[in-house]
Amino acid sequence: MSFLSKLVTLFGLILLTHAGYSAHEHTILFNNTRLALPHDIIVETLVAVVIVSIGLVLGAEKLKPISWRDWAGQIERDGGARNPYLGLEERYGFWDIRNWTYREPVLAVALWLCSGVSCICVEHALTISQAKRQEFADWMRGQDLPAKQ
Amino acid sequence: MGAPANIREINGSDLISALHLAQQAPAILGPNPTKATTSTSGTAEEYSQLEQLFLACLRTGDDQSAQACLDRLSHRFGPANERVMGLRGLYQEATAKDRAALEKCREEYEKILSESPVNVPIMKRRVALLRSLDRPTDAIAALIQLLDALPTDAEAWCELADLYQSQGLGSQAIFSLEEALLIAPNAWNIHARLGELLYVSSSAPDSDASRLGSKSVQHFCRSIELCDDYLRGFYGLILATSRMLENGQADERPSDPTVAPRKTLDQLKRFGLQRLGEIVESRSVDDQHWASSRSELIAAKELLNRFASS
Repeated sequence: MSFLSKLVTLFGLILLTHAGYSAHEHTILFNNTRLALPHDIIVETLVAVVIVSIGLVLGAEKLKPISWRDWAGQIERDGGARNPYLGLEERYGFWDIRNWTYREPVLAVALWLCSGVSCICVEHALTISQAKRQEFADWMRGQDLPAKQ
Repeated sequence: MGAPANIREINGSDLISALHLAQQAPAILGPNPTKATTSTSGTAEEYSQLEQLFLACLRTGDDQSAQACLDRLSHRFGPANERVMGLRGLYQEATAKDRAALEKCREEYEKILSESPVNVPIMKRRVALLRSLDRPTDAIAALIQLLDALPTDAEAWCELADLYQSQGLGSQAIFSLEEALLIAPNAWNIHARLGELLYVSSSAPDSDASRLGSKSVQHFCRSIELCDDYLRGFYGLILATSRMLENGQADERPSDPTVAPRKTLDQLKRFGLQRLGEIVESRSVDDQHWASSRSELIAAKELLNRFASS
């Protein structure tokens, strides 16, 4: 909730309290005559409700996508790690831990297409896919990777 | 502790994030990792994160931390828990010294399965181990046995598709993925994967290229429909449409109603190129979010350059 929205909500709540108090006082004072509430109190109440609503709407959290494609697109834009169907491609249950391959389907197609075309990323993927677990462990220890912030 | 928040984000396939996760293992496991905590509390989320950590540690060769994770899991759920049994099998496979040790693992799996024939994690481990031992035919048979017992396991269908594809059985692989899609019809990555399989199959000399190519285009379109800005979907769409256009498989008025006419394919290709260009522009290679899919981005750039120069 931003400062502005808090301020607007607070102002609206003060108005609402004021209107309620006025109505209370009015009924006590004119108990016998049974006069209707004056228009200014009614108007004040309505305006206060509108202002409080505006304040709350302004301070609401960012809306989450409702439609599937927006939601899925958001996941992909964040790197795809939250994809609920990622397990169907990773298949942890069937993991070949001794000789795991770095499966990257887009690259696989790219590799298959431009075989012969020298492409650094493809070569990189190839070296990884041939690496056995132990080799990778050794490589990892020798590598000084920058720690993730 | 900030670590658990990170685990969720790096639940990916790529090496670097697995490495980062494994490096955090000592911090997550605490100062005395070998001693299992006496408390059996903890949310389901915490334990699934522990499982992720276990996998990452095994993958990066940190067997000690993996053992500690496994101890905690089996302390909480008991060694007879099916999932823990599967993880223990994975650990034994990873630390097996030679082929004989692996054969021993396999015999152990057979023994467990003869006692409880529907222990799914162990069934899956057996398939993976058979595949690892270069016995794909046996692996396929074991997997079909699993699917007979459990036909709603999408993961198993996808694995079957992968196994068939590795054996060059394209049409069987396509069928398996279609089964997986029946179970998870909104999985945009599986739609893209099926599109890729169809695309590869359509290049075989004795295949019905125009029908397969057209189906491939349809599946790529569906994956884009399900997921905004899906780089892999657009990449495949461009490849599939341009192949159909180049090979003269696109007619103005095709006799088969499922095959898209030439005009539509042309429009789809131009649309794909335009959107892929936008995606590549909006995602900088150095962006932290894209560290894991940098290679995808480079491949997409390569493709765009190829079409720009031709």
